[in-house]
Amino acid sequence: MVKSTSKDAHALFHSLRSAYAATPTNLKIIDLYVVFSVFTALIQVVYMAIVGSFPFNSFLSGVLSCIGTAVLAVCLRIQVNKENKEFKDLPPERAFADFVLCNLVLHLVIMNFLG
Amino acid sequence: MSKLLIFLTLIPLLPILTTSFSPENPSSRRVLVLLDDLALKSSHSVFFNSLQSRGFDLDFKLADDPKIGLHRYGQYLYDALILFCPTTERFGGSIDLAAILDFVDSGHDLIIAADSNASDLIREIATESGVDFDEDPAALVIDHISYAVSNTEGDHTLIASDEYIKSDVILGSKKIEAPVLFQGIGHSLNPSNSLVLKVLSASPSAYSSNPKSKLSNPPSLTGSAISLVSIVQARNNARILISGSLSMFSNRFFRSEVQKAGSPTKHEKSGNEQFLTELSKWVFHERGHLKAMNVRHHKAGEADEPTIYRVNDDLEYSVEIYEWSGTSWEPYVADDVQVQFYMMSPYVLKNLSTDKKGSYFTAFKVPDVYGVFQFKVEYRRLGYTSLSLSKQIPVRPFKHNEYERFIPAAYPYYGAAFSMMTGFFIFTAVHLYSK
Amino acid sequence: MAASETSNGTALRYAFGNVLSFFILLLIGVLAFSIRLFSVIKYESVIHEFDPYFNYRVTQYLTKNGIYDFWNWFDDRTWYPLGRVIGGTVYPGLTLTAGTLYWILNSLNIPLSVETVCVFTAPIFSAFASWATYLLTKEVKGAGAGLTAAVLLAMVPSYISRSVAGSYDNEAVAIFALIFTFFLYIKTLNTGSLFYATLNAIAYFYMVCSWGGYTFIINLIPMHVLLCIVTGRYSSRLYIAYAPLVVLGTLLASLVPVVGFNAVLTSEHFGSFLVFIIIHVMALVYYIKGILSPKMFKVAVTLVLSIGLVVCCAVIAVLVALVASSPTKGWSGRSLSLLDPTYASKYIPIIASVSEHQPPTWPSYFMDINVLAFLVPAGIIACFSPLSDASSFVVLYIVTSVYFSGVMVRLMLVLAPAACIMSGIALSASFDVFTRSIKFQLPGVKGNSQVDAGYTSSEGVVVQNEVAKTDKNEEALKERPSKKNRKKEKEHLEKPSVKAQVKKRLLVLPFEASIIAILLLILLGAFYVVHSVWAAAEAYSAPSIVLTSYSHDGLHVFDDFREAYSWLSHNTEVDDKVASWWDYGYQTTAMANRTVIVDNNTWNNTHIATVGTAMSSPEKAAWEIFDSLDVKYVLVVFGGLVGYPSDDINKFLWMVRIGGGVFPHIKEPDYLRDGQYRIDSQATPTMLNCLMYKLSYYRFVETDGKAFDRVRRTEIGKKHFKLTHFEEVFTTHHWMVRIYKLKPQKNRIRGKAKKSRSKPSSTTSTKRSETQRKNPWH
Repeated sequence: MVKSTSKDAHALFHSLRSAYAATPTNLKIIDLYVVFSVFTALIQVVYMAIVGSFPFNSFLSGVLSCIGTAVLAVCLRIQVNKENKEFKDLPPERAFADFVLCNLVLHLVIMNFLG
Repeated sequence: MSKLLIFLTLIPLLPILTTSFSPENPSSRRVLVLLDDLALKSSHSVFFNSLQSRGFDLDFKLADDPKIGLHRYGQYLYDALILFCPTTERFGGSIDLAAILDFVDSGHDLIIAADSNASDLIREIATESGVDFDEDPAALVIDHISYAVSNTEGDHTLIASDEYIKSDVILGSKKIEAPVLFQGIGHSLNPSNSLVLKVLSASPSAYSSNPKSKLSNPPSLTGSAISLVSIVQARNNARILISGSLSMFSNRFFRSEVQKAGSPTKHEKSGNEQFLTELSKWVFHERGHLKAMNVRHHKAGEADEPTIYRVNDDLEYSVEIYEWSGTSWEPYVADDVQVQFYMMSPYVLKNLSTDKKGSYFTAFKVPDVYGVFQFKVEYRRLGYTSLSLSKQIPVRPFKHNEYERFIPAAYPYYGAAFSMMTGFFIFTAVHLYSK
Repeated sequence: MAASETSNGTALRYAFGNVLSFFILLLIGVLAFSIRLFSVIKYESVIHEFDPYFNYRVTQYLTKNGIYDFWNWFDDRTWYPLGRVIGGTVYPGLTLTAGTLYWILNSLNIPLSVETVCVFTAPIFSAFASWATYLLTKEVKGAGAGLTAAVLLAMVPSYISRSVAGSYDNEAVAIFALIFTFFLYIKTLNTGSLFYATLNAIAYFYMVCSWGGYTFIINLIPMHVLLCIVTGRYSSRLYIAYAPLVVLGTLLASLVPVVGFNAVLTSEHFGSFLVFIIIHVMALVYYIKGILSPKMFKVAVTLVLSIGLVVCCAVIAVLVALVASSPTKGWSGRSLSLLDPTYASKYIPIIASVSEHQPPTWPSYFMDINVLAFLVPAGIIACFSPLSDASSFVVLYIVTSVYFSGVMVRLMLVLAPAACIMSGIALSASFDVFTRSIKFQLPGVKGNSQVDAGYTSSEGVVVQNEVAKTDKNEEALKERPSKKNRKKEKEHLEKPSVKAQVKKRLLVLPFEASIIAILLLILLGAFYVVHSVWAAAEAYSAPSIVLTSYSHDGLHVFDDFREAYSWLSHNTEVDDKVASWWDYGYQTTAMANRTVIVDNNTWNNTHIATVGTAMSSPEKAAWEIFDSLDVKYVLVVFGGLVGYPSDDINKFLWMVRIGGGVFPHIKEPDYLRDGQYRIDSQATPTMLNCLMYKLSYYRFVETDGKAFDRVRRTEIGKKHFKLTHFEEVFTTHHWMVRIYKLKPQKNRIRGKAKKSRSKPSSTTSTKRSETQRKNPWH
């Protein structure tokens, strides 16, 4: 039983890797970006758990800026993904412009909330 | 509250210096003396002369003189009233019970001397002031132990008492050596009444009853519960002296020699003159009258009074307190004046330190609570007029830009936020150029 | 739009339709604005009721001192001596809106006063709200339904009641913000554009600024997302619509001082975070499903499911622990009373004491949404055919808002837009069916029939006219809805004319029946219009600080409140404190500019209980309580002379309850005779001796000799009494407001000699006071 599961998992892992290798570079860049921000968020959560939640607004803005960035990047990824049929009408330039706007708003708010 | 009002009115009048009665000069000046009989004027002349010599302007009138009146055109004509008319049932002119009470309630002083057979009117005035005379109209205070030794009278109604109130403010700093002679009716005080004080009380062996009749049932007033002379300081600092005996003011009592029964010492002169003179000084505000002025508060290091404080501000508070000496305002020196920083309950309670020149000051930190606070000085001491100052001041919380800006503990978060921002720019560049 | 595909003639007609709908929208705006002006016309341009006075005062402060001072405003004139941090406890949306309007107008050299701007803010925003309704409904069911819904919303009585000119309250702008946020959500959901998602977050921010009801949004949208996920309608558009909203929305919400960290710490918001996690899991699942072969995916599912289950349990356990650790389980009282209708009356009398927090009665549904109540079910059915993401959202909206309105009268306001949207959809769908039937019966006229059908002037007919165009717009719009409908829609588009019409012929009704049905619907619409106008003109336009009554000898105006407040502002010291029941706190600070002890912002229960206790105590105890609070004047509202029912005696039991909740020596049964609240001779001695009774009925017997209370319809129990610690200083013309002053402490303390002695004195003193006393009854 255990063996078969581990085997399955192995196979799954392989197929995942091969499937992911097929994704275009720009999507990979986005993925990297997402991973980076999620990682930053995790570091902050760990830091908060150690130090305590005193400047709570700073913590919140720090973490939410990371999560926000990640979420927006995922949104962008969904939109510029050529395989996604839903957004055929949406040109990637438009999607990116929206993304930039969204990020500007996000970081403006973060700046406001940080101090 | 009314006290506060008085002091508020005190302050703007400071520059005006007049010889007539003014808040600047709290001593009474013009005194109306109502008498049953003009003969009293001469029989009590020593007392009156001592007043006149201190600068009082005495106006003697018969109590039933139809032309007397306390005020005219809304102004009081007198600053004080002496009622030496124990038997008067009705005053003449416009004076009645209510007029006298209004007179007192507007801050004027009053001396009442009753006697045996005191009229209902006089009793009623005394009652309104918080003093209850023995209801038996014929009753006198009798003391078979501490009576004054005399040749003629044998019913022991002439009492020699030396149970004074222990207060330098009221009776002066000089000790009264000789006992005070008293002959008249006793009264009792309600112990819960905080405004009235027993100045001269009877000895434990005294009782109040009719000396002519036999004692059938126990007397209603006995022992040291009997007050012979009492004073009242009303909440507006008007002062009232109530004595159960008119004769104790008389020249005869002033000059007579006195020997207390059972006491070997015989005094040349009774203590009446000193006692009553000192007491009249107190009643007429020549002593024990305080005023506070120049209440100031400001942030530490600043001079101007702010309209609002912030929590945790450091502030300095100062007030000047003076005492009236009869002729001028002298610095009042005490170490027990306290200021409260008060909102529903005192958040800060501090003793004020003084520079012995009348100025009291302290410094403290505003508590970490916002709200509408008051600086309160409630100073009540035996014999002194009460000081009640309050000054309202709001305390606000921090403004949004008064909080700590850069907290070291938060640097990782700042770093994260800024790294996200730079990350965004780098990503934008990479994303745009990767195509 | 699909218009380009069809022939030239239809293109023209669409263009014409667009222009027409633009003008109709303009007219709807004018209608929404003008129907709310009855109060100005019938009374005057004045701020209404209680809360608006506070908002007005805050706006004045804002315009005078600027935004930073407003943000940091510590108000020392209310809640004496605690004070109130206005900047941190107020929803600033309304104030900022009106302040901005004022600045804009003044910079354009239109010198309107702050008050005028405040009075007209609500009508302006109700016009905006009806346009937002149009947009929302258009996204859901097309332009025809949108216009119908907009017309309905422009005059729905429930909304009118909160947004007549002068009713300058949070709800006035919040409803617009609510609908607009929903519209942007649907728009994002339909387009999947990040741009709209950003706008959505900003609209949500505006809503958070404006009203505490924003929690409705932050719970409804996650519910909808969850619904979509559960019913297998997950799409990446859903992700784009939801995930940025949560992150940005939470951040923006915590920027509002009054919300602050509550946006992440109270359990009203936890639902959204949970759904946020779920949607990420779903996104991941769908992504992996996309890149994996079905077989491998199955393997992955089994693997992940077993791990995921464990993780989920852990997360839920943590959440439960977090929630349980907070005292009220993380829910604030008002929200708890939403979920458990009996919560408030059980635990928080201060919430239960407000009439608008009571559950509504059935007639109030009919009063407030009228015929819409009957159209809503039809609208729900219409939404189910076909069910799209958008229409499922609307259905969810109506269902939840019906529930909430059943809990609190006040939330009827949230129901109203939903009901309008539903009814708009229902009306438009039914008109669609009927007109189509007619069209098929009259093959000759075909094209013109719609136009002819409706050009008469009444509003109901305008509605119908709009509806007639729906079928075309609908097709154009249905292009967007979700995958499932997609294929079907395309078929429609390919063979637009003949086949579809043949198909539709199945739905055709007999000609006569359609005509009659249309007439009936118009009648229904007309009835609605008549009712709404009546409600706007009669029921909801009274400003409640000026009252009127009609009697046989004409119109009576009771302007007692302003009389009393102006007396206070002219005859008392600036720093004097006025105590009254909290209802009148805002008005006293705004109109009389005097410090009050408690006001309508009921943030400190103890303080209110103190005042309640004072009012229900005997005179001496009350005097001591008031004196400790530095109170100089006590204000009571008394309706017994003119029959004004919402006076302090009728509110008195709440004072007892609230006071007794904190100070247990006040017991409600002491004030009730056999469980009955009465003030006649049967009343309990506690009742007859309490301060409220005495202040209300002092000298009341002098008015008619019998002391007949016209509100309670009885003679009062104790007619002749004197006040020892209070003195009457002012009573208004109709006795509606009575102001008493606390007597200062007695200068002397009387001895205790017998009464017989004191008799002559007491008679003289009463004689004196009687001659001095001025009779305010002229």
